[in-house]
Amino acid sequence: MSAAPLLEIDGLVVKYGQAIALDGVSLSLEAGERVALIGPNGAGKTSLLNGVCGLVKPAAGRVLLDGRDLTGRAPGEIVRAGLTQVPEGRQVFPTLPVEANLLLGAYGREFRHELVSATLRYIGRRGEIAVRLERVYSLMPKLRELRERPAGRTSGGEQQMVAIGRALMAEPRLLAIDELSLGLAPLVVQDLSEFLVGLNEEEGVALLLVEQNAVLALELCARAYVLEAGRLVLAGPSDELERNETVRSAYLGGGLEVADAEPGTQAGPSS
Amino acid sequence: MNLSRSRTLRLAGTLAAGSFAIWLSYQLSPGDRSLYTLMGLYAIVAIGLSLLIGFAGQISLGQGAFYALGAYTAGILTVGLDPDDRLVSEAGIDPALAVVAAPILTGLVAAVIGVPLLRLRGHYLAFATLALHLILLAAIFAQSGFTGGQDPGLAVIEPLEIFGLQITGVTGGTARHTAIVWGLVLVTLLVALNLVGSRAGRALQAIATSERTAAAAGINVSAYKLRLFVLSAGLAGLAGALYAFMLQFLSPDAFGVFLSIQFVVMVAVGGLGSVYGAVVGAVAITWLEHELRELGARPSLLGFDLPDQAPQVFSVGVFAVILIVVILFFPRGLLPALGDGIRRLRPVRHEN
Amino acid sequence: MKEFLQLVVVGVSTGSAYALVGIGMVLIFRTTGIVNFAQGSFAVLGGLFMVALVDDIHGLVAGLAAVLVVAFIGSLVGFVAVGFRHRTTPLASLIITLGIALLITSLNLLAFGDRPHTYPTIFDRAWDIGGVLVQPQYVLVAGVTLLAALLLTLGLQRTIAGQALVACADSRRAAELVGIDVRAVAVVAFAVSAGLSALGWVLLTPVDPVNYDSDVRIAINGFAAAAFGGLASIRLAYVGGLVLGVAQQLVVGYADKIPGLGQQARQYELAAALVIMLVLIGWRARNEVHE
Repeated sequence: MSAAPLLEIDGLVVKYGQAIALDGVSLSLEAGERVALIGPNGAGKTSLLNGVCGLVKPAAGRVLLDGRDLTGRAPGEIVRAGLTQVPEGRQVFPTLPVEANLLLGAYGREFRHELVSATLRYIGRRGEIAVRLERVYSLMPKLRELRERPAGRTSGGEQQMVAIGRALMAEPRLLAIDELSLGLAPLVVQDLSEFLVGLNEEEGVALLLVEQNAVLALELCARAYVLEAGRLVLAGPSDELERNETVRSAYLGGGLEVADAEPGTQAGPSS
Repeated sequence: MNLSRSRTLRLAGTLAAGSFAIWLSYQLSPGDRSLYTLMGLYAIVAIGLSLLIGFAGQISLGQGAFYALGAYTAGILTVGLDPDDRLVSEAGIDPALAVVAAPILTGLVAAVIGVPLLRLRGHYLAFATLALHLILLAAIFAQSGFTGGQDPGLAVIEPLEIFGLQITGVTGGTARHTAIVWGLVLVTLLVALNLVGSRAGRALQAIATSERTAAAAGINVSAYKLRLFVLSAGLAGLAGALYAFMLQFLSPDAFGVFLSIQFVVMVAVGGLGSVYGAVVGAVAITWLEHELRELGARPSLLGFDLPDQAPQVFSVGVFAVILIVVILFFPRGLLPALGDGIRRLRPVRHEN
Repeated sequence: MKEFLQLVVVGVSTGSAYALVGIGMVLIFRTTGIVNFAQGSFAVLGGLFMVALVDDIHGLVAGLAAVLVVAFIGSLVGFVAVGFRHRTTPLASLIITLGIALLITSLNLLAFGDRPHTYPTIFDRAWDIGGVLVQPQYVLVAGVTLLAALLLTLGLQRTIAGQALVACADSRRAAELVGIDVRAVAVVAFAVSAGLSALGWVLLTPVDPVNYDSDVRIAINGFAAAAFGGLASIRLAYVGGLVLGVAQQLVVGYADKIPGLGQQARQYELAAALVIMLVLIGWRARNEVHE
């Protein structure tokens, strides 16, 4: 095993035209770790994920997975390297059945520039993929019940499960989850959180939780980074951050930010 | 202060270039002058289309139709509406009035088809305007009693006169006609630049950047798009009307579908949304088209015998390749790309 | 009544061919956001290749070859039209497909000349169904078209590659994030659409001769069919094609009875398409505003 961390981001800059969304952010994450990235709306959290996952080309900086430089590579390559993103707002394929949504997670991993060979590789691995699908169904039995239903006709929590299941089909070593709690009822969020912690501890899948809901993120993760206006302002163990005055007043104190963004999802203040 | 100075400079440059263009009208031989007039007419159409494509993000493939509509409106009004009365020379209206009426009518037609189409995403306008072009051509052929059809065509007997000055009536048009056309190019350019810089221009910029954001900011997106569409159609109608008096003869052959596509090529090559680019594109493409046709009309080229269709194949095919290459590699057009290149070469200056 | 039915039969058949063109447009628009102007050129290429091949080889082989070759050309067109990542916008792609349509038109003019082309139908006489004379070729066009549309729908629902196309149509961003290369999918969408368009005119050419510049008319009609379902639904594009075909035949068939139009009735076929499209779009626009 190499000593390199699983994910290493070094001085990443993301621009949209002239506007700088992310201004030189560096962070790292070890295999099997749970790390949170918190910050207010518009801090650049999603830009960071887009830059890492290949949706936008970073203007500067590097993204390394297992020490391999994957900066600006196509999303498919990032997925194959072991990092899959669960996008904000879930973004399932609404007209396709739940099972097709899951299988496409495995299919996407086979893409290298064109469709025919990807399909052939997928068919060649059909056995392994069926086993993988069974594994996902046993982790989330609810999905097995819903397998025939179009994903757009399931509840918000179920869609989040579909999105996570779809990501898991790509056999990731790191799951980056953008706004897990957005628009979901507190009980559903709690279930999903427990599931993710179990997934991390039992399967060893590392988690990068990108959240506006700082309370939830700090509770779930041992370590966290705080992003503001495109820059990292704080980093450290979650319990330290929870005691930090700035974090307390901005994200935890009155819970103003959190409560504004997500009424109802706030667990009680930790004090 | 810097900004206003650069604006003044730009205005001065535009006026100087415009004066030069008008001066040139009097220097050219009658043979070159007709091509030069055509460049000016097409520049007027291209400026309008450039605004539409650049700011509304919509393509019109009917600018040729509006151009034809302007030409036939002016022509028919001048010779008289009723074919049986046309032999009596007083049947028609004053040519100068006809030139004013043409853009108004084309603008109205554009408004009628634009209202339902411009509310929707998905380039409905491109296909509808193209269909409009084909229908107009069919109507010109079908209503030959009214339009003269292809044979004998429509002879616009009355020459254009403004305040007693004869503008057209000589083969290839007079230098005065050419000068008026280029004068109008200058006016159109100034109006377009003024529009871009005005409050409406800022709304248009917002629409071009993000329709959704613009709509959220309370900008009536479809109303602005409709106005742009009507403006661009009106400009095409005006150019068409001036064209009618250039040869004093109209035939549907001059207004094929290719013309509409050519206007899009001019704008795309010059730069989407760049009004200067539209003028440059119009001049360059008109010249190129002319040269390619001449080349294709030769009996042989590089030792190969050329077939009868060569002029058409040359101009259309070469155009197509230019269009594809420019859009792929310089999606903002050649002129803006050139500007970017120069800016990159120049050392960075302090900007306050 | 007989005359009416006769017109309906012809309308359903030509409408089916328009429907295939429209379905191709929907497929490309949904998966890539591009409105493909070259869709009419694919149809013309299909018809012209068929005419060129049918003298030398068996009709079935010739038809299959024509469709496959055009599908291949379509994939190349798709590759160019999609352009570069992060750089080529859907508007730019539309202009590129316009350029490609022009290029194909001029090459067709060079290769096939400027006269209409056709080939003889394999059926030697018309069927008499209750007094209505029906050309078997029309039935063939309608039948094969329906079959192709059904196969396409099935393929999109049941195969993983088809589902990948639907996934791109549903959410391009999510499709990219699972690793699907949306550009690769676009190339396939173009190939399939090109093949479908070609198929329509491979079959229709015996009863509707094709010219090097028929592409504009076909593209507009195909777009009108697609517009019936707001460029979003394959089923509605199919229905739209049929409605359009029948409406046009009725206009052509009955227009010469209107004094003043006379012999020029055929010229108004396209006008009928435009008016139908405008009315439908206007109606849709109103619905969208009220939603």
